[in-house]
Amino acid sequence: MDIEIFPHRILGSDTTERLLNEIEGLEDVNRTILQGPRLAPESPDDDPRYAERRIITVQGKEIELKVKAGRIFVDLSEESTIDQIREICNEILTFGFDINIGTYIRTQKTVTDSIKYGNAELPDELIGMNDQYSMLEDRVTYIQKDGNDS
Amino acid sequence: MAQYYPGTSQVAQSRRNFSDPEYELEKLREISDEGVVKILGHRAPGEEYKSVHPPLDEMDEPEDYIREIVEPIDGAKAGDRVRYIQFVDSMYFAPAQPFLRSRSYLNRYRGVDAGTLSGRQIIEARERDLERISKELLETEYFDPARTGIRGKSVHGHSLRLDENGLMFDMLRRQVFNKETGKVESVKDQIGKELDEPVVLGEPLDEEKLKAITTIYRVDGEAYRDDKDAVEILHRIHVSRSNGGFCPE
Repeated sequence: MDIEIFPHRILGSDTTERLLNEIEGLEDVNRTILQGPRLAPESPDDDPRYAERRIITVQGKEIELKVKAGRIFVDLSEESTIDQIREICNEILTFGFDINIGTYIRTQKTVTDSIKYGNAELPDELIGMNDQYSMLEDRVTYIQKDGNDS
Repeated sequence: MAQYYPGTSQVAQSRRNFSDPEYELEKLREISDEGVVKILGHRAPGEEYKSVHPPLDEMDEPEDYIREIVEPIDGAKAGDRVRYIQFVDSMYFAPAQPFLRSRSYLNRYRGVDAGTLSGRQIIEARERDLERISKELLETEYFDPARTGIRGKSVHGHSLRLDENGLMFDMLRRQVFNKETGKVESVKDQIGKELDEPVVLGEPLDEEKLKAITTIYRVDGEAYRDDKDAVEILHRIHVSRSNGGFCPE
């Protein structure tokens, strides 16, 4: 089952890092997707005082944060995990949030997927993990969790 | 006494305050004249105002009674160009909003043209008058560095969720939050051209202050339906308009 965490404000990189670390620390969380407006690509002309794009560390793994988190989709196995996530959000997202249950990560290959990947077997956990305009290696990061990939 | 707006809520009172030219708006921050000129982007600071040539005094203007009756504003007297400033007000408790801006501008300033759209509001005036008006608009309650944007173009964002630090979305990132100082700085002029030095716009107002001066009814602030007086007047206007426009054959 999927849930959508809908913060009432668009998250900055520090809060995103904290939230992801907490959520990824839960045993039951399989996949997490950040969705939101893109951060501007890094440019040498950028003033470091205002730079927003940076590398965040989630469970020891370095990930380049490319979007401002507007919505966070989490793939879970058990409903009881939602309460744990709600507690985490209560603590970190002090400005308010909603948690909705539904299907937010698609489960079937699309025509675009077939064009992109051909007849290659796409593992189920990679379906719906990126948008149609980007490549998986640019978007998806694996985090090792006690023998399980996530 | 002029009746500017009905209602007993704080929002209604704020609307009356803005609309009443006698009411002195609270000055919340200091922005230099040079800073205002930079943000507007119509001329370089220190540059002369571009005016008609030959000067108006040397021109033979047609006879006109109106010209004799109406005292021209400074910019018109000098033959300045007409320039603009445009604001975008977030729906999340921005101090002003487009319709109120128009209403209050026309009550407060002479020789201006105000244009209202759902998410943005433009004011046009002669250049030197515009600079004077802009300074007033930026320094007083009309403006909050986080919830109000100065945007000549690419205005999208007034109804989007705010950033975590309270800033309204801006695709050109003209106003940015400086984490070190806690102040909002304008790094581009209103149409998105980079400035050499940022113009400091000051600290964002806190949520309580915004809710106290806002002119936006919201369910999570003061709901319009709870303002019985305002709703009653609205109903009366609606019925009068409907009856007045009703014309059976």
